[in-house]
Amino acid sequence: MHGASPLRFLLLVSLAVFGMAAAIAAAQSSTSPAPELLLRATLVQSQEFCAARMPRGGRVEVGKLACVDFEPALRQVFPQLTVVTAVPKESDAQLILVPTFLDLAATTGVTAFSDRKLDVYLQWTAKDASGKTVWVETVQGSASHRAGTLFSYNKNFKLMVSDAVEDLASQSAAKMLASPELRSLSK
Amino acid sequence: MYIAPVKLLTACVVSLLAISSWALTFADYPARSAKDCAVVSRALGVTIGVEAVESADAQEAYFHMEFAKKGFLPVFIVIENTAADSVIFDKTKMSYGAAGSLASTPPTAPRAPAMFVVSAIPIVGMAASIDIIPKASEIRENVLRKEIRSTTLSPGASARGFLYVPIPKKGGRGNIILHIPITRAGTDNTFDVNLVI
Repeated sequence: MHGASPLRFLLLVSLAVFGMAAAIAAAQSSTSPAPELLLRATLVQSQEFCAARMPRGGRVEVGKLACVDFEPALRQVFPQLTVVTAVPKESDAQLILVPTFLDLAATTGVTAFSDRKLDVYLQWTAKDASGKTVWVETVQGSASHRAGTLFSYNKNFKLMVSDAVEDLASQSAAKMLASPELRSLSK
Repeated sequence: MYIAPVKLLTACVVSLLAISSWALTFADYPARSAKDCAVVSRALGVTIGVEAVESADAQEAYFHMEFAKKGFLPVFIVIENTAADSVIFDKTKMSYGAAGSLASTPPTAPRAPAMFVVSAIPIVGMAASIDIIPKASEIRENVLRKEIRSTTLSPGASARGFLYVPIPKKGGRGNIILHIPITRAGTDNTFDVNLVI
């Protein structure tokens, strides 16, 4: 490379780097999943699910919050979503989504200024029109807040539960979008 | 001995800050493939490996608790799908029993006999029932975080984690059989994998 000036060399390297970056961006945009699944989906939010309170946390009304947060989050994934309170015996839905709460773990803050963490676990079971299970997944929703003083403890705890359920809803939507099994049904 | 209130208050605040900054750390169980586990079974393109973590030292390192005193045994499980289709591992359908109830059945029987089904106890919710002192919330969080969860395994995917199997608190344990149903996604085709630990 006796004849190559440093300027020309720098230009070539810059072009190569720019080309690689463009290629990576193109590859990412071509492999990223479509924003939604074109399936007629039914979300089953039974009375029992909406009334769910987690063990070891009698105050944690996760079901009540989930029955508010899940529908809008899942509608981002399934534009044709209907919500029912029981598994339908007959339906024109291509996919029936049944959520079940599994468990909850909350850490306790040592002082009012320590952070507390809450994890909520939920299992999704998705069945096709013939009743066969096509997808099962466990989703974890997490949130963390300051433990709070005697005056702010309850408020902070409610905020933490609300954030954890909101996270559960968005994690659920993300897992459904990323599922090759659900995506293959929507083709 | 007289201690000035300001000094006492400062000492309390410093102690509380020291306690609040102290946090338990939990080692992760070494990642391994199913074939490297103590007990392995293969069926229809799915490989399942399990190994019991019996040593008190190992339990202390990974969980900061001794499970035997609580009447449980942590069992590490790896499920690998090398089949061409997706498979479903639904933990709510899993069960365990005394190995004697399957005396004449090989570990990878396609479907357990009725006798086993009668003696089988669902394994779901076991982690929640472990009686951990309420203050040890970090320990409980770690136990749940390490637990294996229901999932769908696409071709080439794997899942791993712990099961917490009840055992007698005293007198040692006999052989335990784990009954793991695997379903091909979108079908009624379920096959059972039975592993003895």
